[in-house]
This record gives sequence, C-alpha cells and structure tokens, in this order.
Amino acid sequence: MNGEEIIRFERVTKEYDGMTVLDDVSFAIERGKFYTLLGPSGCGKTTILRLIAGFIEPTQGTIYFHGKPIQNVPPNKRQVNTVFQDYALFPHLDVFENVAFGLRVKKMKEADIRRKVSEALQFVNLEGYERRRIQEMSGGQRQRVAIARAIVNEPEVLLLDEPLSALDLKLRTEMQYELRELQRRLGITFIFVTHDQEEALAMSDYIFVLNKGKIQQFGTPKEIYDEPVNRFVADFIGESNILPGRMIEDFLVEFAGQRFVCVDRGFAPNEPVDVVIRPEDLELAAPEAGQIVIRVDSLLFRGVHYEICGYDENGNEWLVHSTKKAEVGEIVGLRFEPEAIHVMRAEREDGGE
Amino acid sequence: MKRTHWWGRVYLLVVFAVMYTPIVYLMYYSFNSGGAMHDFQSFTLKWYRDVLSDDRLLMIVLNTIVIALLSAAIATILGVMGALAIYYVKQQRAKHVLLALNNVLIVSPDVIIGASFLLLFTIAGIQLGFKSVLLSHIAFSVPIVVLMVLPKLEEMSPTLIDAARDLGAGHWQVLSGVVLPFLAPSIWAGFFMALTYSLDDFAVTFFVTGNGFSTLSVEIYSRARQGISLSINALSTLLFLFTMLLVVGYYVLSQKGGRVYGIGGRK
Repeated sequence: MNGEEIIRFERVTKEYDGMTVLDDVSFAIERGKFYTLLGPSGCGKTTILRLIAGFIEPTQGTIYFHGKPIQNVPPNKRQVNTVFQDYALFPHLDVFENVAFGLRVKKMKEADIRRKVSEALQFVNLEGYERRRIQEMSGGQRQRVAIARAIVNEPEVLLLDEPLSALDLKLRTEMQYELRELQRRLGITFIFVTHDQEEALAMSDYIFVLNKGKIQQFGTPKEIYDEPVNRFVADFIGESNILPGRMIEDFLVEFAGQRFVCVDRGFAPNEPVDVVIRPEDLELAAPEAGQIVIRVDSLLFRGVHYEICGYDENGNEWLVHSTKKAEVGEIVGLRFEPEAIHVMRAEREDGGE
Repeated sequence: MKRTHWWGRVYLLVVFAVMYTPIVYLMYYSFNSGGAMHDFQSFTLKWYRDVLSDDRLLMIVLNTIVIALLSAAIATILGVMGALAIYYVKQQRAKHVLLALNNVLIVSPDVIIGASFLLLFTIAGIQLGFKSVLLSHIAFSVPIVVLMVLPKLEEMSPTLIDAARDLGAGHWQVLSGVVLPFLAPSIWAGFFMALTYSLDDFAVTFFVTGNGFSTLSVEIYSRARQGISLSINALSTLLFLFTMLLVVGYYVLSQKGGRVYGIGGRK
C-alpha cells in the first residue's frame, strides 16, 4: 500500500446486544481503488460499511478519515455516499428529484443542480429518464438511479452494499463491467460489499475476506485465489480440494499418503498443514501415469468443462474440472504441477490472519 | 357457480336495502309538502328553504364545520407526531402497550368518553361550549389518525431514512423531505377520518356542550325530541350528502395513494 490513505480502522469492535459482529478489526483504505468486502452473511461486512457511512458507531476502537477521527460526525456530514441493497430510492420523487436530493439539501443553485443531475444521469446511461417515476423503472434502472444519486454528490468514497444481489444473472454480469468502468472513470474509492466470490474476483483491486467479524485475508484477487491463507478462504473463494497434510521439509509435503515436491517453504519440519489444489489444476491421465489414482464417482457437464468427483484409495474426495470426459466407475489418474500445490498452515482455533 | 353468484347478489342487495332504506325514506319525505312522514302529498322544497332561512341553524352548521376542520387539523398534527413517537420506540413491549392504549380509545363507548370528559372539564373548570367540544373532538380523533398513519410508517423501509441522512439531510430535512411526503396519503386519510368522526359525533358532544353552543347532530336530536318537523329531514339529507362527499374524497385520495405507492387499492 503506497497511495494516499483515506480511511483507517484501528482496532474497531462492534457489538450488538452483547453479540460481537466485528472483532478488533484494523485496516486502511486508499484513494482511487476498488475494494471488496467479501464474506458469508453475518461476517460483519455490512457492519463495516455502516460504520464508515456513520449509521452506527463502533463499540471500541477508532475510525479515521484523512487521519482525523470521525466518531460523532453524523452521516450527513461525511464525505461518503452509499448505494443501498434495496436502493432506497424515494418513491414520492421522480428520477430527477431523487438524484437532485443531495444537492437540494446543500441548497445548490437550480441551474447547477440541473447541470449536475443531467451529468450524473448521463454517467449511468439514463439520460431522458428524468421525469420517470421510480415505480416505472426496472431493477437495473433503479440501480443506476441509486448510483447516480450517490455520485452526483462527488463523494470521496462510494459505498455499495450488495447492490447487484437483486438483479438476474445476465444483468448482474453487465453491471459488474459497468461498475468497474465507472470506478475507473470517476477515479474515486469504491467499497463494495458482496457474498459472491466471482463478483469480488472480477471487479476488485483488493479484497478483504471476512468471517465471523474478523478479516481472514487481505490481498489482490489473484493473491486471494492462488494463495489462500487458511481453509476458510480457500473454501470460500472458488472450489478447491483441501487435504490435511504434513510439511516434511522445505519444498516437500506429504498428503494423501504420498510425498510431493512443492514450491512452499518456511514451515517447521513436520508441521501439520492444509493442502489446497484447485480443481482446474488437476489433469486427467491414465491410471499408471497419475500421481493420484481415483475412482470416478459422479460426473456433471458444466458447459465449459466436466465436473468430475471421485475418491482415492485413502477415501479423500477429489474434485476435477476437465474438458476431457470420464465414465462413472472408471479408474483414472490425476496429474498436477508442483506449482498447483498450495500449502497453508493448518487451521487454528481462531482462524486469524 | 352461476347460482351462487345469483344468491350472493340478492343477499348483498338485501343488506344494502336494509341499511339504506331508512335514509332514503327520510330523504324522500324531506320533499313532502304534507308536513308528516307519511302520506306524500306533493313535491316541495319548503323544508330546505326553512333550513336555509334559519339563522340559528346556519350558525350551528358553521360551528360544526369549524369544530370539524379545526379538530381534524390539530388531531392530524398530534396524531402524526404520536405515530412517529410510537414508531421510534425501540422496546417492542412498550410499543405494544402504547398501541393498545391508543386502540382502547377508539373502541371504548362514546358515552364513557363523553362522561369522562364532562367530569374532566368540570374538575378543570373549563367552561362548557366551543372550547370543551373542540378539545374533546381533538382527543377522540388523535387515536384514529395514529391508527391510519402508523401502518404506512411501518411499511416504510428504514433504509429510506439512512439514504436521506447519507445524502446530507439533517433530522428536520429527513422528516420534511422524505418521511412526511411518504406518509402524505395516510395523513390525508387520517385527516378525513377525523373530519367525519367529528362531523357525526353525537354522544361525546352531547355531554360536553353547553352555554347555547351546539353542533348539528346535537341540534337535530333536540329538535326531533320537540316534535316532528320535516326541516329535520331536509337538514339530515344535507348532512348525509355532505358526509358522502367526504367519503368519496377519502376514497379518491386513498386510491391515488395506493396507485402511486403500490399498496392496497385495486388495479
């Protein structure tokens, strides 16, 4: 991290009625990047968003905005704007007035309001819809109105609370591109909350993976995908084969009853580890040529590839994505490169960083 | 299927006939030149002319309307504030208790409310008349407004308020720019309900009025006791038609609200 820091959380904890939803979290957010808070429901990602927006206050810890604590600064005085999950558009106002709301509150001149609103609507490809009622807009259009309403205020940080979850798959993919593009054009910081790992991987500069109120891992999408730090992250980000194993020495790991050369080091000798191999890194081969031999248990055609599930002689389950077909009951070999093996420290009790 | 339809219609017809026949009967004889509620002799507007030339009566009509408009307006303001207060009560139990207390006032008999107000005004030393009637009308209208406004408030997504705050609105701007406009249809509905309740209230007013101050329903009652005059029929007809007008107004408003906000109403 070397850019200009906008937001910093220092040891922030949030409790609701004795339940800890955010547990001693610290991180920093830089200007002009696309961040994603990724995690299952109840992991604390929306809580972080609401803390930044100012709808709630931390139980402990401090939130800094440009180096100044922003406790006791109400939401209407913060330089951030939010796109809500249900969009929260004002039903009694038309599209223009919804977008103009923030500017009217600031008592801006009518001519400026008109210019800025039309610019914002142009930005989200909604010119010509000014006088439409919210009820006449489709889900995707409402989403754009919500974005226009937020960005017209020129916030330094735009918060997006699962804004795509209400859209159908095709529209969602389209909006992913558009949001990413929008962020580049505006050059402001986006903090995007989602439970959809594909969305997170596709859109973000950086991802925070959260679980049980703690940050599990922070990194670029590639880092998170290729080098998950623990079982939770590996499991949550994409499909993976996770096997218990033992690090014999540097570059040599034992799992599934065999020893394999790998590219990881820095573990204690014989340290228990979890081994991750992504299903697309496994290649089907003849049984005698395979490093692992499995009996195919089930087969699904997924369009791009076959999803093959099988068991080795030790009873470990293996998931393989292959463009080659296999028959159920067939014995096949699996081959993989040393780079495909990713070794993680075995899960500790708290699952921390 | 067709048969049940047929029976259903007859049943509906009978029910409405039973409910409306007395009113139609009363209206019909308000045009009787014979001066009694039987033996229709010939059509006349004499009784209406009587009503309209009766200065005391017109004064009472004015009183009634002033009381209704004033009490409905004040009750609407208080009721909206009350609904907001109940909405913001965080404790579920306290909320239910407040709501129950509100609803008890609506279902409790007018006679009891009237008698208790009489007691209150006597103890407090408030002179019976315009003031006492106005106060009591406000009091029994407030719960009605609360009951009309609160469901709409509960239906409002709390993120609407968050969104307004997020866009820079202070508490007052949130209220005037988002919450009140959102509630507008139900506020109007509450106002009209309060208006009709005030217009046709008899029991409470009967208890707390005095010093020559009177409203229409009390006046009609006392005149009917003195003896039958068809001007009462004429007056009742006018009052009924006015109430109908209010109901239609209320209906149009609530339909409009339903269309705009996608709740209730038929398509």
